[in-house]
Amino acid sequence: MIQKQEIIEQLKEIIKPYVNDKLALNSLTETTDFINDLKINSANLVDVVLDIEEKYNIVIDNESMERMVNVQAAIEIIETKVGEKN
Amino acid sequence: MIGNDIVDLALAKKESNWQRKGFLEKIFTQKEQLLIKNAKNSEEMVWNLWTRKEAAYKIYNRETGFRGFNPVKLVCFYEDQSKGTVSCEGFLYYTQTFVSKEFIYTIAVLEKEYFKYLEKIDVATKISKINGIPSIFDNVSLVVKPVSISHHGRFWEAVTMLPF
Repeated sequence: MIQKQEIIEQLKEIIKPYVNDKLALNSLTETTDFINDLKINSANLVDVVLDIEEKYNIVIDNESMERMVNVQAAIEIIETKVGEKN
Repeated sequence: MIGNDIVDLALAKKESNWQRKGFLEKIFTQKEQLLIKNAKNSEEMVWNLWTRKEAAYKIYNRETGFRGFNPVKLVCFYEDQSKGTVSCEGFLYYTQTFVSKEFIYTIAVLEKEYFKYLEKIDVATKISKINGIPSIFDNVSLVVKPVSISHHGRFWEAVTMLPF
């Protein structure tokens, strides 16, 4: 089982290339919204999803992606999908 | 209600690699992927369809209050380069797309006739948020009109509808 804090740190690394506002990135928490808070453009949200799939070797279906608008949802989806693998 | 979306093609080239494995599948239906594959200019088709989905989503989001990221659910019917519809969960939106070498810009509305009443808002206009929706006050009709704003790279566009 991966620790939540560990996922948050890994998420920060994943989304870094798509965020201009480095200050917002540094203060990232579970409630951080990818679009409203980090201003990630929605086309790059697809890249974030693909990067997460690669990093954790999971498949994120469209229904899961639909919910993935903030850090908390991303963590939940990663935990669930990684759990299903084991 | 109205929705718009603009893509600065030069910035999109820098920010997005649409040829990345899995990218198109996360955004487009099989039919749309085929349109992209068979287009003379595939990159232009990617952003043409993308702006339609984004513009339609803005109306969908405002009307239903639903927020989510699932572009495949927004299905484009591509009539031609500038005209078409987008359907989403039983709702239908009409789109008008403007294509240039520098940008692609789409406006979505609820009825085809509404395209006659579009009003472009210039950057100096005072736009305030009312119930979370950017709006302007029309001094002639004394009504509050919802505005859709889109900004990407070098381009900024805002649009509303004239009262009718």
